[in-house]
Amino acid sequence: MYVYHNTENDSILNIKHIYAREQLIQKLKHRFSTYGYREISTSVFEKYKLYATMNGTVNQQEMIKTIDNTGEVLVLRPDVTIPLTKQLAQKQPKLHKDLRYFYILDVYRQKNSTKDYEQFMQAGVEYFGNGSYEADGEIIALAAHVLKELNVGNFTIELGHAGFFKQLISEIRIRKEDFAELRRFIQGKNIPELERLLERLALPEQTKKIINNLPLLYGKLDDVIAKTKELPLSEALHDKLDDISAIYDVLKSYDVAEHIVIDLSLINHMDYYSDIIFQGFIERIGKTVLMGGRYDTLSHHFGAEFPAIGFAFDMDLLLAGCSLQKDFVIPPIDIVIFYDKKEEKRAISLAQQLRERAYHVLTYVKTDETGHIPDATAVVTVSDGSLSYRDSTREATVQTEDELIQRIENIWEEA
Amino acid sequence: MGQITLALAKGRTAKDSIKLLEKAGFHFPDFHEKSRKLVFYSEDEKIKMIYVKAVDVTTYVEQGAADVGIVGKDNILEAEADVYELLDLKIGLCKFSIASLNKTEIEKGTAVKVASKYPNVTRNYFKKIGVPVEIIKLNGSVELAPIIGLADYILDIVETGNTIRENGLTIITDVDEISTRLIVNKASFATKTKEIRHLIERLKNVLE
Repeated sequence: MYVYHNTENDSILNIKHIYAREQLIQKLKHRFSTYGYREISTSVFEKYKLYATMNGTVNQQEMIKTIDNTGEVLVLRPDVTIPLTKQLAQKQPKLHKDLRYFYILDVYRQKNSTKDYEQFMQAGVEYFGNGSYEADGEIIALAAHVLKELNVGNFTIELGHAGFFKQLISEIRIRKEDFAELRRFIQGKNIPELERLLERLALPEQTKKIINNLPLLYGKLDDVIAKTKELPLSEALHDKLDDISAIYDVLKSYDVAEHIVIDLSLINHMDYYSDIIFQGFIERIGKTVLMGGRYDTLSHHFGAEFPAIGFAFDMDLLLAGCSLQKDFVIPPIDIVIFYDKKEEKRAISLAQQLRERAYHVLTYVKTDETGHIPDATAVVTVSDGSLSYRDSTREATVQTEDELIQRIENIWEEA
Repeated sequence: MGQITLALAKGRTAKDSIKLLEKAGFHFPDFHEKSRKLVFYSEDEKIKMIYVKAVDVTTYVEQGAADVGIVGKDNILEAEADVYELLDLKIGLCKFSIASLNKTEIEKGTAVKVASKYPNVTRNYFKKIGVPVEIIKLNGSVELAPIIGLADYILDIVETGNTIRENGLTIITDVDEISTRLIVNKASFATKTKEIRHLIERLKNVLE
């Protein structure tokens, strides 16, 4: 979501969007909680220093900076995983018990070369202290579970291994500039340019063969494994494949394997990922709605040592994927009560009773000027000592409040 | 198999791209270069083709409004779009070149003024060779800039070099090779893998 430079945030009055987003937040909170994840929050203001010393994470130019009255440079929360890991590491360098956290928070960026500030909501989970395949499986299955129950239609989670490319590179000698290009071409499945670059580089033929095939080592696990059989992979590279297979087995137990494809050319721009990485796509939405992976080495930056894995949804994209559904459409006002001024006490007490029962109710003194009154499903009139009910298909007059409430409850139950 | 949306660049390479698609077995009976229609369907309805300005193809594909696109490398480099670039279609061959008046060479350490339709490509190139650059963005007739003293150099796509020579300019260096590419939206590749791979395989077969 863009917040433009010179204008007010145009989402402030967008009640439909805010309602739908709140529904989504509630669904996510509920699902995360059922897996034992507990909600946390991080500060909006963070020290720039924290990010300035960590290369290959958040682009430093993209962070929105501010200066406090002591001259300290601060940034508006550009990321959640890093400050969370830092705080945890400072509290307890070794974890004695596993920790499962979730968050639903805004992060702030200013994209390169634009003047637009970007504020976007992330919903993420982090699982600290457990480095097992089962922990990997739990996290990925949780992402799939959420997408499944949101009925977003066809979705795919691509599974790769950050260690695969890192291992491959560690086996060869390559200049820094060439490495950057190589990485970019693999990431972009840029097969023509990749071939050209490899022709130019002095690398062992075996490595070239593997790299050339990387972009299309994509698909169902069995197919990808079959293709890798024809490649001269080192034992260390085979180990990475074994990691993927083991996690895939766990995902079968969760019954979500049909949504998983393997992509060995998957490389995340966040350098802190150390092992399994994944990203999710849903039909009709052209961008990555979820990203995650294992980052066991991030805690080392802060003098601690604990395994960790997590992911985050981009809430705007996720919302775009499910905003057409009934659950996300703002409900109408149920009832407007019109009353004679002398019946005010009775009318308002009726309104309160209905509100206690969760109906959305408005009250107005009866008047001829109705143009300013919002639309509602039904109209109740308290006038001349009687109560009348009217909606698009029926009309009735009753004597007591109890009778009216009973009638309304019956009608709403039918609908 | 479902339908995929293809964004095809108007202009220079449209004719050759259509020819290639026909060869690969995708026929567009309604298509005509001068047609005012913007949407065409292949005979087998497997492809919905939208016919758009070349500079917009990367935008359609990056945003997911089109699953795949056929467009020149020049536009892809300029847009710096986050898409997959899976295939070189080997048509629309040309180069990014730098030209100047009087064969003036670029000197390291001296700031230069460059006119171009491709400011991002220009910035990236001069960053790479380590020469400070001031970029003048123009939308056409770039060759004019050095002649009237608006810039020292131009960076543009060059096919035969005739326009450059006729305006008294000389090519001093080539920056990159350009050809038409097939680009793919990342989400489409994940959710419509079968359809997209099918298209690629068929194009690949006629390229060889």
